[in-house]
Amino acid sequence: MDEKAIAFKVVRNLIFLLATIVVLWSIRLQVIEGKKYSRLSEENRIRRNFDPAPRGRILDRHGREIANTRPGFYVSVVRAVIDENTLSALSNILGMKKEEIIEKSQIEKNSFSPVKIAHDISYAQLSAIEEQSDAFSGVEVGVEPLRNYPYGDLFFHVVGYVGEITCEEIEKDRTYILGDYIGKMGLERYYENILRGTNGVEYVEVDARGKEVSKITEKRSIPPTPGVDLITTMDLALAESVAMYLEPYEKAACVCLNPQSGEILVLYSKPSFDPNLFTHGLRKNEWDALNNDPNAPMYNRAIMSCYPPGSTFKPFIALAALDSKTTNNEKRFETCTGMYRLGRRPFRCWKKHGSLNLTGAIINSCDIYFYQLGRLIGIDTISDRASRIGFGKRTGIDLLNEKQGILPDRQWFEKRYGKNWTQGHIFNLSIGQGDLLVSPLQLACGFALFANAGRIPIPHIIAKSDTTFFTTEISLEAIEIVNNALAGVVRQGTGTLARVSGFEVCGKTGTSQNPHGDDHSLFVGFAPAENPTILVCVIVENAGHGGSIAAPITGKIINLYLNDLQPMRAENQWTQAVHD
Amino acid sequence: MIRKTDLSIVWTTLALSLLGIMMIYSTAGSAVMIKQITWLIFSILCAVLFSRISPRIWLNLSPIIYILAVVLIFVILIKSDVYPRRWIRFGDFSMQPSEFAKFATVLMLANYLSTRKKLQNFSDMLVPIAITGLPALLVFLEPDLGAAQIFLPILLVMSYWAGMPGLKILILFSPIVSAIASFSIYAWVVYMAILMIFLFMRKQLTDLIYGFASNSLVGLIMPLVWNSLKAYQQRRIIAFFSPWLDPQGMSWQIIQSKIAIGSGGLIGKGFLSGTQKKLEFLPERHTDFIFSCLGEEFGLIGIVIVVALYVFLIYRLLSLAKETRNRFASIFVCGVMIWIAYQTFINIGVTMGLLPVTGVPLPFISSGGSALLACFMGIGVCLSISKTKMAY
Repeated sequence: MDEKAIAFKVVRNLIFLLATIVVLWSIRLQVIEGKKYSRLSEENRIRRNFDPAPRGRILDRHGREIANTRPGFYVSVVRAVIDENTLSALSNILGMKKEEIIEKSQIEKNSFSPVKIAHDISYAQLSAIEEQSDAFSGVEVGVEPLRNYPYGDLFFHVVGYVGEITCEEIEKDRTYILGDYIGKMGLERYYENILRGTNGVEYVEVDARGKEVSKITEKRSIPPTPGVDLITTMDLALAESVAMYLEPYEKAACVCLNPQSGEILVLYSKPSFDPNLFTHGLRKNEWDALNNDPNAPMYNRAIMSCYPPGSTFKPFIALAALDSKTTNNEKRFETCTGMYRLGRRPFRCWKKHGSLNLTGAIINSCDIYFYQLGRLIGIDTISDRASRIGFGKRTGIDLLNEKQGILPDRQWFEKRYGKNWTQGHIFNLSIGQGDLLVSPLQLACGFALFANAGRIPIPHIIAKSDTTFFTTEISLEAIEIVNNALAGVVRQGTGTLARVSGFEVCGKTGTSQNPHGDDHSLFVGFAPAENPTILVCVIVENAGHGGSIAAPITGKIINLYLNDLQPMRAENQWTQAVHD
Repeated sequence: MIRKTDLSIVWTTLALSLLGIMMIYSTAGSAVMIKQITWLIFSILCAVLFSRISPRIWLNLSPIIYILAVVLIFVILIKSDVYPRRWIRFGDFSMQPSEFAKFATVLMLANYLSTRKKLQNFSDMLVPIAITGLPALLVFLEPDLGAAQIFLPILLVMSYWAGMPGLKILILFSPIVSAIASFSIYAWVVYMAILMIFLFMRKQLTDLIYGFASNSLVGLIMPLVWNSLKAYQQRRIIAFFSPWLDPQGMSWQIIQSKIAIGSGGLIGKGFLSGTQKKLEFLPERHTDFIFSCLGEEFGLIGIVIVVALYVFLIYRLLSLAKETRNRFASIFVCGVMIWIAYQTFINIGVTMGLLPVTGVPLPFISSGGSALLACFMGIGVCLSISKTKMAY
């Protein structure tokens, strides 16, 4: 064989070998891995666009919107196709750092899925982006329903707020997707499943730059299902007035409820915060400022702050004494001289009251009478009756993060102070100071016992026709006696500033001792005495005596409700909505 | 004796070109297609003309054509201010001198090699290396790495065909392997060890000295050369080795091209229906990655048909080279064969993710007048040879 023939064979075989490699490789790509590449190609081409469902509205008892939705423009980016120029221009328009945009876009693992990087952009920003949309790649703007709170910070603590979902929240519930809003606090969170609705899905064809080319018709799109409206028992007009009355004070809480049904009319806490600001998403420094604010605006004081109830606890001591039949209304102890010695330790009263019976001691809020009454009936009777009334337990309101407070009993004292705990601890407990801690809502519910003849409703914010009560099995005679005394408190005792023209108000003042500063001013009252429809508990932090600050505010609230709001509403009956 | 033109070469070439026109319409629309048709008509006329010129005249013209091609690249290197310096423009039409340099170099190399009766030593390779090295270097400086690399297989295979022993050629060009191996010190040491054992067993002193010296030298200076490469050239090479690392960069092309071919499946998505192409996921759709679009729209069946057409054409050219008695003609046909074969393999290999991304057009199919014309020139001369292959 000559050289040429060998060379021919060598080259020919080489050509055949390379051709075989090419064909085998294309069999691998197109047949063996064909399904994978088909899927990748479809993923390139077809994008599922989610059409976010508008959240259900939150309405007050008369159907007025306290949370609704409004349209807002958002910006999303497709990480795989965004380029440096687009990124710089976008960073200028939105006032975000480039790194921030990239960081946000990296939440989504699939670099071809658009990720929302800014919500609720202004018209100026929108038009700036639209102007350059031909030069941009991988940027989209769209309209989404955004949560809106027309009354700003008024309902912040009850209604809560919504925020963009985090990756951890998606881990827990796979029905959410990135970019969804989720209730983070208050009713928004508690009733998230009712309010959220279902996102719609739409299939679109996109090109390599992430721009939509056409709708895909072979896959049916699903329209969004809006969330269900939440009708609450709250009263907008009353809440606005409460906020107005508490305007001069920095930190305060107020609970107004219907003691017969447990319907919450107002649950107010201040300082507050405008939940609309969460819609944009807070920057880290804004978050830190909010969380580190010493006045704790995120804290719902009405259910999460626990205070010593002070003298507002005395009616419950009296009730325990009467119910346990240890004593009766006419029982008198050592005369109040402004000071009482337990061994060598002096216990003071805020005034020299002289000799008082039980009713008189409640009306005048005599500490020395209650020291002796507490000692007489003993820790077990006190803790038993207070526990039956609901102290030391959550009320069961439809909000998360409710605090249960502390109701000390024999075991608690032994655990806390060892065997050496003394009568002094009972003395303090008897006037609602020391270790006892209650939330304003607990206190309001406790007073519902007096307003509602021994039956305490579980408070609720969502409107419903059936209220659950729990019975305390405390004798009606005992309640009757204390009720009369509570009426006396407002008629002639420490709470006269809570008087309301035309209606008899029952109530009790309290001063909650505060080791960190000025005492807190407390008042709990309800009216009309014969058929109470409103019960108010007001606490104003660092304001001093209950009778001078909290009592007049309570009076104003009750007055507004009974004399102005209720007559007006006699005609406008609100329709009951049925929700789960 | 006078024979008829080899019609199988004509039909295969035309079939591939028409397929190209079709794919260009699919990927770039009618305007680009009409331009390509204009070029194709011109190319066919040119090939007809060339096929009527006797091989003897080509032999005599080759130095002039070669010098002309080299000067043309030299001129754009100096004159052109558009970077990279690849184009000469005449109004609407533009031309790439590097494509004609391939034709000219094959012609010139065939001329020189045919004058040598015996090729035996390394020294016999000096002139061939110079002939191919000059245009290769100029093209590399444009810079056009894709076009420059083609000169190497042309040199190797044409020298081999002219009678240079295969092992000699392998030893001569073994420093290229050393250059690639030098990216990993372990690979390089292993390669050098194997090479040295092989050279000792051959018991030829010149081979041993040359092999050791050149391989060591290249292995040592390669890291310096690497650092002098353009960033985009480095990226292309890196992207090849780890395509999923950086889906936005160079490897985007490889990924999207593989998706296009793979998603074509057995029978393809149908003519004009490739979504990867239509939605612009596929890069360089009507030029370097036109084969991916073919794979997407016509599937495995389309690919097998096209590969078969190429293999047939190349085999016909190879047979022609074997059958042609005239030394110059035989070596020239072999040069055209390896030029088309190598470009085809590199282009398809790149689109399938077998090879790193280098911008090489697919002969007869990719959009681009110069490449088409240059290939038709080569084929035209081959046809002239086929008519007269037994003549001398």
